[in-house]
Amino acid sequence: MNKNGYQKQVMGIYQFINDNLYFNRPDIEIKGERYNSAILLSLLTALQKGKELIIGEPGLGKTTSAEFVCSMIYQLPLGVIWGSEVSGHPEQTEEKIIGRPDLGKLNRGEEDVVWTNFSQIPVKIVDEINRLPETKQSMILDGVDRGNWEYLNEMIINEEYCLFATANYQDGGTNTIIAPLVDRFDVMVESRYPGANLSFLIGKARRKDRLLRHPKLERDLHRVLKSKITYEKKIQKIEEICNAFGEYVDEELGVKPLQRQDREQIRTEMEALDLDLDANAFTRMLLAELSFCERYGQKRVVETCEEGCHYTGYLCHEIKNCASNRLPTSIKLYAQGLAWLLEDSEIDIEHIKAVVPYTLAHRIQWKDEILSQKERAKRDDPFPIYLSKEVVKAISQRYREQSEHLKDALAIGSKIFQGETLEPLEGDHPLYVEIKKDIHGRQV
Amino acid sequence: MKNSISLKKDLISSIERPRRAIQNPFEEFKTFSVTKSEIPLDQIVQSAEAVMDQIRWGYEKLLEEEAKELVWMVQYNTIIKAYEVAEKYIREIDYSAEDIEDFCFALENTQKIPYLIPGPAGVYISALCNYVKEEEISLRLSELKTEINLIGFRLPKGKRLMVDGDTGDFTGIGLEGGELVVEGNAKNWTGAGMRSGKILVKKNIGLHTGEWMMGGEIYVGGRVRGLGNIVEGKVYERDKLVYPGKVRHPNLYY
Repeated sequence: MNKNGYQKQVMGIYQFINDNLYFNRPDIEIKGERYNSAILLSLLTALQKGKELIIGEPGLGKTTSAEFVCSMIYQLPLGVIWGSEVSGHPEQTEEKIIGRPDLGKLNRGEEDVVWTNFSQIPVKIVDEINRLPETKQSMILDGVDRGNWEYLNEMIINEEYCLFATANYQDGGTNTIIAPLVDRFDVMVESRYPGANLSFLIGKARRKDRLLRHPKLERDLHRVLKSKITYEKKIQKIEEICNAFGEYVDEELGVKPLQRQDREQIRTEMEALDLDLDANAFTRMLLAELSFCERYGQKRVVETCEEGCHYTGYLCHEIKNCASNRLPTSIKLYAQGLAWLLEDSEIDIEHIKAVVPYTLAHRIQWKDEILSQKERAKRDDPFPIYLSKEVVKAISQRYREQSEHLKDALAIGSKIFQGETLEPLEGDHPLYVEIKKDIHGRQV
Repeated sequence: MKNSISLKKDLISSIERPRRAIQNPFEEFKTFSVTKSEIPLDQIVQSAEAVMDQIRWGYEKLLEEEAKELVWMVQYNTIIKAYEVAEKYIREIDYSAEDIEDFCFALENTQKIPYLIPGPAGVYISALCNYVKEEEISLRLSELKTEINLIGFRLPKGKRLMVDGDTGDFTGIGLEGGELVVEGNAKNWTGAGMRSGKILVKKNIGLHTGEWMMGGEIYVGGRVRGLGNIVEGKVYERDKLVYPGKVRHPNLYY
């Protein structure tokens, strides 16, 4: 672990936002320290080029929390972030989200694209994504997934980008977010009510967003974004202006935002962190329960569990869908970020347990009977996050009971793969069956 | 011709190559040293079986000493003596309330226990209940074909024994402050000689209820078939106090 002070710099940003911009209570505890999940996960999203869905009641800081974090991590003045946000409404069009034809050139018979700020800058915020009709949500699928934005015959690719989308709870004007789009979000977090006392303070401290405004630099940035130079050159020029804004923030507010090379260095350090064996086995155990079906080979949303199945006590019996391959990627991405931030040399089981509820909450489709059983339970979290935290508790319990045997089973699996003649270990968990399937797949 | 053969070989080997290089999905565990341990379930089963063997052995010793001819007469002295023998063996066993329930089922369902005699079995189960660490004991006996006699004998203060199912004769006799709840019916002589505590029978109760009881309360959710000679204490039938009461006379049946 490099001691270059980046962790302190990022924690400084967390503290600055927590103390001055986004007042809220800490709601998660990791290794004895308490944090606010909305700020912490947004920081990790911005650092790890992730995708975050922020849910909550109207007016509880979903969008502003993302704006503050992005402004500090990407050195962008708030005015530019506001000017690049996409708002979800039924009349939203591809032209407003991605780009439009250059009408002047079109009159001259030339085809050229005027890209939107949203598609160009690394910070992408979609406000009220669930007000986009379901048919129009697919417009942003590719951009959200890979960072490539296509219009007419042109394309720009964002090398560095992160996405924040906000969603209100269901009301008359909202649509459901389509499953493929939901799955693309790495985490879901709630921007919560801060409590009556902090809310009162927020009411008193108006215009706190002025702290991160800089009208002159905002105009400069808009000018560059509108210019006709190549996208690569634009990125360089944007970076120069952003650095100037970063220096301004450092001087005026005493907190240092991250420059591009800082972010790249941080990502390199994060990527070097790997899961220790317990974190590894725990994650496999979780994935096995979220995808296993003894009768049908795997979970499928169109198939229902058999009555009297041996695995009734496991999560596979409580859910409808199968975990996607994006889930382990999200878990590792955010656990890496968290381990790095806490200056740990490896990703351990605590990092995994901390991030799993947020990576899982939006991805699980629970059976109706489970929802009706648990919806009235006393809780602090929104229902999907509460259910995911219960998942972590259940898996932790099972892991405590079986960890050594499970690691033995995986180690024996490895030895069989290396050519040793051994029998795979038996055990009462879907993961043992999955190990056998992999071994059988190798032998056939 | 040669060229075409070698081309084919190349083609085959290029197809086979990726198969050999199949990725080990357990690579990270390559260096993990496997411990020769049993799975937790095995350990639980083994330890439960060891405890059950000890409990069973105690019961067999009780039968050997107290029911040599496989005949056991319910008399004051025989009950006291059987209880003392049971106490002697039970004190040395580390068991839980769950083990008592397992023993009740083992009495009927295993070949390892040669015979079930409801009297000594009840005394033994009562001693198990009285000496177990837990304060609340729950016995699901509704699936047993035999009604066990003497359940709740000398149940001490602070213990609560809940029986799901019917009990036989002499239920809760000599109760010493504990609380005995029977979810089904209880037969004759229930609560006989009890000193204090509470017996709650959810359904009906037989003859001689509370014979020589010296204190405590008996609540019956259904009907009381007959009261015994009660010295002191209270008997309720469907929330109505039937003893002491002017209508009831000892030894009169309904």
